Amino acid sequence: MVSSPLVRYLLRRLGVSALLIVGVTLVTFVLTNLVPGDPVAANLGQRAAENAETVAAYRAHYGLDRPLPVQYATYLGNLLQGDLGESQQTHRPVLVDLQSAVPATLEIAIGAIVLSVLIGVGFGVVAAVRRGRLADSALRLVSLVGISVPTFWLALVAFYVFSFQLDLAPGSGRLAPATTPPPHVTGLYTLDALLAGEWETFGDALAHLMLPTLVLTLYTVGLLTRFTRSAVLEVLEQDYVRSARAKGLPGRTVLFRYVLRAAMVPILTVVGLAFGALLSGTVLVEEIFSWPGVGSYAYQAASHLDLPAVMGVGLFVGIVYLVINLIVDLLYGAIDPRVRVT
Amino acid sequence: MSRLDGPLRARFRTRIPQAWRTPLGITGAVVALVWILIAVLGPALWPYDPLTQDFARLEPPTGAHWFGTDELGRDVFTRVLAGARVTVPLAVLLVGLSVVIGGVLGLAAGFFGRWVDETVMRVTDLVMAFPTVILAMVVAASLGASLLNAVLAALVVSWPAYARVTRGLVVGIRQADYVLADRLLGFSPLRSLGTDIVPMVTGPVLILASLDIGTATLLLSGLSFLGLGAKPPTAEWGSMVATAIQNFDSWWMGVFPGLAILTVVMAFNFLGDALRDALDPRTAGVLGKAETR
Amino acid sequence: MFGASRPVALVAAAAAVALAVAACGSGASGGGGSGPTLVIDSTFDLKTVDPGREYELTGQMLTHGMYETLLTFTGDDLTTPAPGLASSYELSPDAKTLTLPLAQGRVFSDGSPVTADDVVFSLQRVSGMKGNPSFLLDGVTVAKADDTTVVLTSAEPNAALPFILPNPALSVVNSKVVTANGGTTDDKDGAEKFLNTTSAGSGPYTLKSLDVASQAVLTKNAAYNGPAKPAYDNIVIRNVQAATQALNVQKGDSQVALDLSGDQVSGLDQGELTVTSGASAYTIFLFLNQGADISTTTSNAQYVSAVKKAIDYPGLLQVAGTGSVQPASMIPTMIAGSLPAAEVPKPDPAGAAAALAASGVSGQPPKLAYPSDFTLLGLSFQTLAERLQSQLAAAGITVELAPAPVATELDNYRNGKEEIGLWYWGPDFPDPSNYLAFAPDGLIGKRANWPASAAPDIDSAAKAAAAAVDPAERAGLYQEFQRSLNAGGPFIPLVQPATNVVTAKSVTGAAYNPIWTLDLGSVGVAGGQ
Repeated sequence: MVSSPLVRYLLRRLGVSALLIVGVTLVTFVLTNLVPGDPVAANLGQRAAENAETVAAYRAHYGLDRPLPVQYATYLGNLLQGDLGESQQTHRPVLVDLQSAVPATLEIAIGAIVLSVLIGVGFGVVAAVRRGRLADSALRLVSLVGISVPTFWLALVAFYVFSFQLDLAPGSGRLAPATTPPPHVTGLYTLDALLAGEWETFGDALAHLMLPTLVLTLYTVGLLTRFTRSAVLEVLEQDYVRSARAKGLPGRTVLFRYVLRAAMVPILTVVGLAFGALLSGTVLVEEIFSWPGVGSYAYQAASHLDLPAVMGVGLFVGIVYLVINLIVDLLYGAIDPRVRVT
Repeated sequence: MSRLDGPLRARFRTRIPQAWRTPLGITGAVVALVWILIAVLGPALWPYDPLTQDFARLEPPTGAHWFGTDELGRDVFTRVLAGARVTVPLAVLLVGLSVVIGGVLGLAAGFFGRWVDETVMRVTDLVMAFPTVILAMVVAASLGASLLNAVLAALVVSWPAYARVTRGLVVGIRQADYVLADRLLGFSPLRSLGTDIVPMVTGPVLILASLDIGTATLLLSGLSFLGLGAKPPTAEWGSMVATAIQNFDSWWMGVFPGLAILTVVMAFNFLGDALRDALDPRTAGVLGKAETR
Repeated sequence: MFGASRPVALVAAAAAVALAVAACGSGASGGGGSGPTLVIDSTFDLKTVDPGREYELTGQMLTHGMYETLLTFTGDDLTTPAPGLASSYELSPDAKTLTLPLAQGRVFSDGSPVTADDVVFSLQRVSGMKGNPSFLLDGVTVAKADDTTVVLTSAEPNAALPFILPNPALSVVNSKVVTANGGTTDDKDGAEKFLNTTSAGSGPYTLKSLDVASQAVLTKNAAYNGPAKPAYDNIVIRNVQAATQALNVQKGDSQVALDLSGDQVSGLDQGELTVTSGASAYTIFLFLNQGADISTTTSNAQYVSAVKKAIDYPGLLQVAGTGSVQPASMIPTMIAGSLPAAEVPKPDPAGAAAALAASGVSGQPPKLAYPSDFTLLGLSFQTLAERLQSQLAAAGITVELAPAPVATELDNYRNGKEEIGLWYWGPDFPDPSNYLAFAPDGLIGKRANWPASAAPDIDSAAKAAAAAVDPAERAGLYQEFQRSLNAGGPFIPLVQPATNVVTAKSVTGAAYNPIWTLDLGSVGVAGGQ
């Protein structure tokens, strides 16, 4: 095998990432066990928790009667085989729970990030190019408002105004009641409905997707406009851009071939981090729209001291973060030769 | 990085007043000032007591109660004003602590390099990979829900960003000619740090910090919204919005505290933006926290 | 322009397409059948619909719609057990033997007949699996007397047993189907997964799909031949927050909303919707820890008396909303043994001040602990606690609020560490013996560190009531027990929150039942659709 610098870099990164994942699971395990409160009582209900036999059976079933280091070791061992344990709340394997929760959050996150990139980068470029003029001020105002709005409040107001008062958006959840979800391919209802050719379901899923996505988009648009603007501004003042314009190259060429390409680096970082944040922290929006995604799963799990579920979410979030960081770093290398791994 | 040459302090003195003369800067300064006054003057401005439950419940805004009353018959206007004393100082405290802790660690990592750098960076990776919600809930459950514990939980997830930025800045500066020259002249590492590096790092970090007060406010009110922050019956904007969800029809219960959060955050963001614009439009640092959205 | 108009145009086009498709999409009616579909919004408390394991509210409602029990209650009358899969019952004079002849000709959803063997298997399974509801049959053995009769034998006199049997956890399952899918009568049972995807009962509906986090769908049981008249082809029960329930039911997205509070209900347009409010069987109570090592303040008898007199009960009802009542005893108004409304404790500020002075307590104000994230029938414990704190403060009694998430607080509660606790009790079965938990050394008495030696008269009143068999005598003795509890115990019953069932005008027969919330088999459609 050709041991190119890239491969060596990847392997090293993967190794470090694996260690980090283990670190995340260890920290999650320790923290969740530090919390005062017995998950048994929380999940069995008061009457059952008084019955010693029921409690013993429960603890045995979930392996809670073994010493903590053994529990952790068992968890890691199972993890290597792809078994994330069973949720004490839903009584289903955590992996199955995540398989339905993750695509739900993914739908909102992808929608929000795509919209945000299209709008935010566009706004940022316009603002940078028309610096100091009205368009610039207006767009910067929009961006500042966007990052200032508390998302939980916006979700509430949006739901109240658009769904309740104006009846422009459908109610809570991912689909209208009693609508059967499309056959599972990815778990993204919109995509699966398209693949199955169920147009009505597609429309319904899309309609339900709109409001939560738009609420999340506002913040990310604000963020992206801001960073795009400053990244583009920085590049516009570079000598090579000035010389390109002096050479008489058309504006559009200068913009796309030189400016955006150079500005991509910081923009990508922000996009990557924003996407990661969207995937791991949409709890508030999901609670308000009754959207069964990772955020509300994490919140329910943490409230009930459901250790396997909490570990599962921690794992998921950690992996997302590391993968995104890796991709962003690799893209850095692809776009900016100066940063390329030597 | 040609624009970071020259003493930063002088530029502070001339540029800051200039920054605040822009429309954005002025608006931000005025709104921030109003809120700070509200926080400082406190009880002098309150028409009623924020804890008194004497009034008719769930009344819409009227002349007697500008923002209506809540589910326990308390005046919402007073509670919104009282909330300023809670959220704003804590957000500033959170940012301050993050800057100090993150800054010190980032300085160490950037300056001493090698294993110090590796360790600090791996720890920041670990922390940033952690889901904020779970961490906050664990802290709240173990230590009890309180504002200080919420600040603690928020602190744990906030310092890594500052550590990263500071480290990046230090790494950029420590190879600069004047730093090397001073080392050759015999400056000890500590003196080099104190005289050459810290002054150059403080500026950008402070700019980021000022931009971050808004985010800190959002984070803290988000945690209170989840029930992990203010202890009842304290008037705190985030928890007021959370209660408002149960009383959808009484829109005034949620709209006004939310507007309060919005205006405070906007004011600080405007200010920070104007500041950054004046001093260096290129320090569009990446803070990259996993937010509670 | 540097072509910035292009991305904008793209976005606009995409948005237009999305809106257009969405407009078509939202016209889609829900439902998979040709008949009517009922959509019920509820805040889920659901882990499983395996009858032998479920003991959560939503689980009870679903199980009651898919399975049947030996005895049942009709409507909301909890005083008389009615025939179910058993046609009658006979309790022996010593209350230790319950004989139940079975109704003939009843079938499961797959057409096979309900036999005595199925009954025996189901009840033994509940006890043997040691799941959440197994305590219901503690000390009870079940056997079949012959092919048409089942006998339940209790070790101790068990006059409450006919009132325990209607609990959906004691439903009769199709033993052949369950055994074929891993079911046993001991803790090696593995049929839960199967039962969470397919029901094996004789009730009016069967399980079509279940997602414990979001939605359950039931379909009409074609083979059902019981007395209920299932009116819907499909019933969808969705997990929705209370506030969103209000929006959904008003928009017509759902036809039943189960968790709205009094405040939320008062904002509804009653012309379009039917609201049925009534008192629930939950008793929200306050208790003061009697352990001197936990708190010298709360264990002081005069202090307890002061608190009882200082609470402004009507003020609490105001927060709890219309339909809620103040119980005169821990036993709620609809169960035998409760005290009449005339005996309700009244606020007595002067008496409170006197008692407080006489108590001589000083030092740190005690902490009022409660679950911070808990809402019971729309009444938030947070709100209630804040109101209580304010009321006590008006009488000169300072308490500090100490909320914690329910998982953590439950631990403190069960270990008797709370100084003042705000909790609730929902009856496991509608019989006064369930409330012996509040006797000294009882289940909850222990959590208040209240030993029998501290109140021997209350202890003997409780024991006398527990030993009685005759219904009239029992009721009287339990009332005596409640009176002595009110006078000298550390428990203060505060409020029975209201249940508000909100339905569309097209829905009939949606009466609230404390055990299974809604009897899905009797919910009907108006106007003969």
